Amino acid sequence: MSQTDTAETAENAETAATATNRTDSHGVSTTAGETVEETRPEWTSYEAGGETKLAVDDLDVHYGDDHALKGVSMDVPERSVTALIGPSGCGKSTFLRCLNRMNDRIRAASVDGTVEVDGENIYQDGVDLVELRKRVGMVFQSPNPFPKSIRENVSYGPRKHGDIETGLLAKLTGRAEPDREEALVERSLQRAALWDEVNDRLEDNALGLSGGQQQRLCIARCLAVDPEVILMDEPASALDPIATSKIEDLIEDLARDYTVVVVTHSMQQAARVSDQTAVFLTGGELVEYDDTEKIFENPESQRVEDYISGKFG
Amino acid sequence: MIAVPREEYRESLDELRADVESMANDVLGQLQRALDALDGDDHGLAREVIESDDRINQRYLELEADCIDLIALQQPVASDLRFVAASFKILTDLERIGDLATNLARYALAGGSETIAEVRIQTIGETAHGQVRGAIDAYVDADPEACRAIADRDDELDAACQNASEAVVRELIAGTSDRWDVEQLLDDVSGVLLTIRDLERVGDHAVNIAGRTLYMSDGDPELIY
Repeated sequence: MSQTDTAETAENAETAATATNRTDSHGVSTTAGETVEETRPEWTSYEAGGETKLAVDDLDVHYGDDHALKGVSMDVPERSVTALIGPSGCGKSTFLRCLNRMNDRIRAASVDGTVEVDGENIYQDGVDLVELRKRVGMVFQSPNPFPKSIRENVSYGPRKHGDIETGLLAKLTGRAEPDREEALVERSLQRAALWDEVNDRLEDNALGLSGGQQQRLCIARCLAVDPEVILMDEPASALDPIATSKIEDLIEDLARDYTVVVVTHSMQQAARVSDQTAVFLTGGELVEYDDTEKIFENPESQRVEDYISGKFG
Repeated sequence: MIAVPREEYRESLDELRADVESMANDVLGQLQRALDALDGDDHGLAREVIESDDRINQRYLELEADCIDLIALQQPVASDLRFVAASFKILTDLERIGDLATNLARYALAGGSETIAEVRIQTIGETAHGQVRGAIDAYVDADPEACRAIADRDDELDAACQNASEAVVRELIAGTSDRWDVEQLLDDVSGVLLTIRDLERVGDHAVNIAGRTLYMSDGDPELIY
């Protein structure tokens, strides 16, 4: 991890905390009365309904010389689905990974700017990454269950985090809570809409499940540690239409309790499942962020219009 | 310069625009012939208009199906979506204008709208026809200013219709005393009143077309009500 310039980051955090609007953080300079070629879209002052769960301010990411994300600012409201769309290489996955500091694992990546979860900058010193990733969970493109039983896949996280204790030592010391584990596994599988399909074979190896079931198992695994935010990186791109629609139903359902941010290459999927949509275009730029209806019916930006209409540049 | 793939899709959007325009021309032709039939008491022409309405209805259903195909198969978004949605609605207005032209032709067959001196059906008809023409031109050119102009001009048409209706009623009141054929007078009067009402409705459909066109071109629902 090579986060740069902590002082500046702290300053940004302060700015973010005091700024009333953030219209000046997208790198296009406008002064009163001046017209720029790409008219500054009104979405820069876009405020989705509800409380802000994630506040991203002036986020820049470099991979070595590659400027992957340029001055991105956006607020993600809690208990809603936010879709990130854009062509390959536009920075949307990079952005997603910044939200729980998954980019820390990439040595060449440097991150500037602030990402606040409930008002706390997750890039400040002393942030416990394990705790952060428990609060901000992630589901990946290809289902990646552990080669273990269905039950163990779900209880793995809570065990690691020490939320439930199992095993010989726990049994010997009387701290084992098999009932609690059982309840947690059931609750998580229920919440991921998988329980009815697997409750009679919890000891089976998870790799024996279908792709769609595996992905829902990964979502159950994520839910088992009781996250607040769920990040999904193209969660249905490897699935058939039926499995995809189950995941999409699940995403909408999860948004009643969790804040969901989903990267997708399918614009129809973004249109179907999300409350607000952020469009990233080549060059790591957030070009427009607004209510999903607005983006797909009447976007402000001509570039966004061209992209979503299939007039790819 | 943006490369534009989805060539077939873009072509079908262009085709839809051209088809709606051509249906509009057909409908405008019907309206004009109906007005001519009224003017010249031409029953042959009136029958022609009535018989042609099937063709308009058929075309309406075909183009409506084209819109549904585009939505189902191409999932248009943004301005493309607004264009298809507007076209879908405009087709309905055109079909209704076709029906109103048929009504006018029926009044021509029933005869006798010329007896009421002060009422210039042809002038009102020209205005209504011009409104539809203007609205369709605005649609083809995606011209928001022209849409607003159509909406403004509808007030003039409404006023002309209002004045004409009042003139008819005045004639009715004045005419009953010195005309022995009251039945004939009543027939004439109701025929003229219906003609005026239908031409006013043609104007309303023109405003609908302009409203959908404004939404299509600017995303502005101002004229849709």
